[in-house]
Amino acid sequence: MSSDYEISDEENGYYDEDEMEVDFDDESASEIEVDGIGDDFKVAVRRERKVYDVDFTSLSQPEIEKIMQTDVDHISGIFGVEPAVAAQLLRHMDWNKEKLIEKYMDNASSVAVAAGVELPPREPTPPPPKASSSRLSSTGPQRTTRRSTAEHSKSSPKSKRTTPPVEEPKEFVCPICFDDTQTEFMALICEHKFCASCWKEYITSKVRTEAECTITCMAEDCNIVALDPFVQKALGDDKETWERYQELLVRQFVSCIPHLKFCPYPSCTYTVSCPAAATKSSLVTIVPIVTCGASNTHVFCFGCPIDSDHRPVVCAVAKMWLQKCRDDSETANWIKSNTKECSKCQSTIEKNGGCNHMTCKKCKYEFCWVCMGPWSEHGTAWYSCNRYDEKASVDARDAQTRSRASLERYLHYYNRWANHEQSAKLSMELYVKTEKKMEEMQITSELTWIQVQFMKKALDVVFRCRMTLKWTYAMAYYLASGNDKELFEDNQRDLERAVEELSELIEAPIDPETIMTLRQKVTDKTVYVQKRNEIMLEDTAKGYLEGRWKWDVTVEGFESD
Amino acid sequence: MDARLRRVNKEIADCKNDKSSRVTIDLVDDNPFHLIGAFDGPEDTPYEGGRFQVDIVIPDNYPFQPVKMKFITKVYHPNVSSASGAICLDILKDAWSPVLTLKSTLISLQSLLCSPEPRDPQDAEVAKHYMTSKSSFEETARYWTMIYAGGPGKDGAGKPGKDGARDEIAMAGLDRAHVDQFESLGFERSKVVRGPLFIQRGDVGSLRGGQIDVLRRMNYRGANVANINDDRVVEELLK
Ligand SMILES: [Zn+2]
Ligand SMILES: [Zn+2]
Ligand SMILES: [Zn+2]
Ligand SMILES: [Zn+2]
Ligand SMILES: [Zn+2]
Ligand SMILES: [Zn+2]
Repeated sequence: MSSDYEISDEENGYYDEDEMEVDFDDESASEIEVDGIGDDFKVAVRRERKVYDVDFTSLSQPEIEKIMQTDVDHISGIFGVEPAVAAQLLRHMDWNKEKLIEKYMDNASSVAVAAGVELPPREPTPPPPKASSSRLSSTGPQRTTRRSTAEHSKSSPKSKRTTPPVEEPKEFVCPICFDDTQTEFMALICEHKFCASCWKEYITSKVRTEAECTITCMAEDCNIVALDPFVQKALGDDKETWERYQELLVRQFVSCIPHLKFCPYPSCTYTVSCPAAATKSSLVTIVPIVTCGASNTHVFCFGCPIDSDHRPVVCAVAKMWLQKCRDDSETANWIKSNTKECSKCQSTIEKNGGCNHMTCKKCKYEFCWVCMGPWSEHGTAWYSCNRYDEKASVDARDAQTRSRASLERYLHYYNRWANHEQSAKLSMELYVKTEKKMEEMQITSELTWIQVQFMKKALDVVFRCRMTLKWTYAMAYYLASGNDKELFEDNQRDLERAVEELSELIEAPIDPETIMTLRQKVTDKTVYVQKRNEIMLEDTAKGYLEGRWKWDVTVEGFESD
Repeated sequence: MDARLRRVNKEIADCKNDKSSRVTIDLVDDNPFHLIGAFDGPEDTPYEGGRFQVDIVIPDNYPFQPVKMKFITKVYHPNVSSASGAICLDILKDAWSPVLTLKSTLISLQSLLCSPEPRDPQDAEVAKHYMTSKSSFEETARYWTMIYAGGPGKDGAGKPGKDGARDEIAMAGLDRAHVDQFESLGFERSKVVRGPLFIQRGDVGSLRGGQIDVLRRMNYRGANVANINDDRVVEELLK
C-alpha cells in the first residue's frame, strides 16, 4: 500500500522530506541532512506552491513604514504641505490617495478641517479658496508664536481671530490639573493651552489605554489633531509610548489596505501581504493560510480572524462552525444538567416534566429530582423541593425536544472535532517528553542527534494532520450529502486511520534495542500520513476551484441551490 | 500631591462654593474617588420636582479617561437603563474631554433629562414607549419621579395606595383597561389550556404581574395596540 505513496523530490510536504528517503546508514548523507533541517523552517514558506497554498509575502514594521513614507512624501509634494500634515490627511482618508487628492483639489479647506489639521472657518464663512494655490501659500514655514511651544505650520491669519486675544495672565494655571507649579505649556494650532505634563499624560492614556493614534486637542469640542512631531515632543523621553504610537500608526495603515493584514500574534509587529485573498469573493475558492516573517509558528488566516490553520474548510464555513460551537455549548450543557444518573443503577435519566417524583425506568428506583434523595423520605406525594423552578423546566423541556435530533447530529461532529483538538494538544506535550527521551538515547546509545530526529518530525506531522482532521469535521457537518461528500469522508477516514496508527507508534515505549526497527516504521508511516494529508487538502482545494462543494446551509459567497 | 486627587478636591470645593446650580457632590465614605452627585429634575419636564442622585466613580487616569456615572435614583428615560441606571451619553464615552468637570457632566445629565434621544436608546422598552406615545411616556416618567425621586404626584391619578403599595400598572406605563381585558381573558384561557398549573403557580396577583410584564415588553400602548393581535398577547401570556 505504501508503495502508492512513494515520494519523489518534487513532492515536498510541510517539511523537507529528503531525510525520509536517505539511507540512514550513510554517514555523509546524514551530514547533508543537518543543513537541510536547519533550513526547514525558512524554506517552509518558499517551498513549491501547492494548490492549497496561497502566495504571500511578509513585511516588517520598517518595511511598512517605508511604504507609508512614500505615500506621505507624494502627498506632501503635491499639496505643498508639511509631511506631518500630509500624514494626517492620509490617515483621515484611510490612506486612499486617489480619493484624498480628488477631495482636496475640490475643497482643500473642508478636507483639512475634517482631518483636524486646520481650524474651522468662523462665520461669516469665507468664500472657498478659488484654487488650491491659494491654500498652498498659507502653509509657510513653521510660525513661531508668542507661545513658543505652539506647534504647527498651519496657523493662518484667520486662526488668530478664532481665539479671543486672551491677556495672558502672569500666572497661567493649567485648566486640567490646576497645578500652579507647572511652567511649561503646549498648544496645538487652536491655541488651547495646557501644561506639558497634562499633554503627556493625555497622550499616554490615549495611546496605551485606548490604542488610539488620532489624538485630538484636550479642549471640549475641539477637533484639531496632534501631529506626529507634537506627539513626539509631548512624550519627551517616554520612548516606549512613542514606539507604541508608531506601531498604532502602522496598524491603522495596514487595516486600510485590503491586501495587508497585521500578524495577530501577541506583540508581533509583522504584516503579511496577500493580494490573492484581498477580496471577499476570493475566499470562496481559497483558504489563505499565511505565516509571518517573525516566526514559523505565527500561522494565521488572512481571510478571517482565526489565528491558526483552518484548512481545508473555507473562512465562511469555519466561522459558522465556531459560532455554532459557541451557541450549542449551552444546549449541550443543558443536556448535561438535565439528565442525571440514577443513584442506584447509574443509568441516565432525563427529567421528563414538572413533577419531581422520578422513577428510574430501568430499576424502578423512586427518587426526588431536586435532592436526588429517595422519594419515600419526602413523605408526601405533594412534596416539592422549593429550589425547583417549574416554569424554567417546562420551557427547557420544550426546547430540548425540538433540538434533540439536530443536537445529536451536531454532537457527532463536535465530539470528533474536539477530540482531534485535544489529541493535538496532547501530542505537543508528548513532544516535550520525547525530546528528553531522545537526548538520553543519544548518550546511552550509538545514535546520533540526527538519527533521533524522526520522532520529532512524526509528532509534528501528527499535530498538523490532527488540525486538518479537526476542521474536516466542521466541513463535513455542513457538506450536503451526495457523492462528493462521500468521497470527502473517504479521504477523511483514510487520513484519520493513518494518523491514529502513527500516533500509536509514537506513543510506544522507546527501547534502544528495537529503535532502528521502530524508526523505520515511524518514518514510513510519517511519509504515508503526510501523503494522506496532502491528498485531503489538495482534493478540497481543487473542489473549491471547481465549485464542487455544496453546502447544507446558505454559505456567504456560495450560490445556494 | 497626586494630580488626580488635587483635581478632584478642587472640583468638589468649586461645587460647594457654587450654590446657584443646586448641583451637589458628596463623598460616599472617605474615598475621594467614589462620590455621589445630585441635581434637580429640570423644570417643565416630567422630572420636575424630583431630586436625582448619581453614582460617580473616578477612574485611575482621570481626567484623561471619562468619569463613570450612573443614576442611583431610578429614572424613566430612553437613555437611562430603567433597571441599572446606566447612562447613554456621548461625553461619558468618546466625546469626553479632560476639561469637562464632574459638575459640568452632572449638568449635562440634567439637560439629557430635558432632551431624550430615543433613536440612540439605553433602554429600548422605554424608548419604544416614548416613540409610541409621548404623553403616556411623560405620565409614566412623572409617576417614577414621584415614586423614586420625591416628585409631586398628579392629583388622584397614580398616588400610592393606602398601604403605600405602588401602582404596578402606572409603573409600567400601561392602560388599566388593557390589563383588565387580558386578565379575564388570560385567566379563562389559562384554565382551559393549562388546567391546574396556574392555580398551583399562585394567586391572581402574580398572574397579573406576568401580564404587566408581557404587555410592557410588547409595548401595548397607544396607537401600537392596533398593531398587536390579541392572540399574540395570549400566546405570550401562556409562555
Ligand atoms: Zn496640567
Ligand atoms: Zn484645541
Ligand atoms: Zn507574527
Ligand atoms: Zn479564514
Ligand atoms: Zn435505576
Ligand atoms: Zn427533594
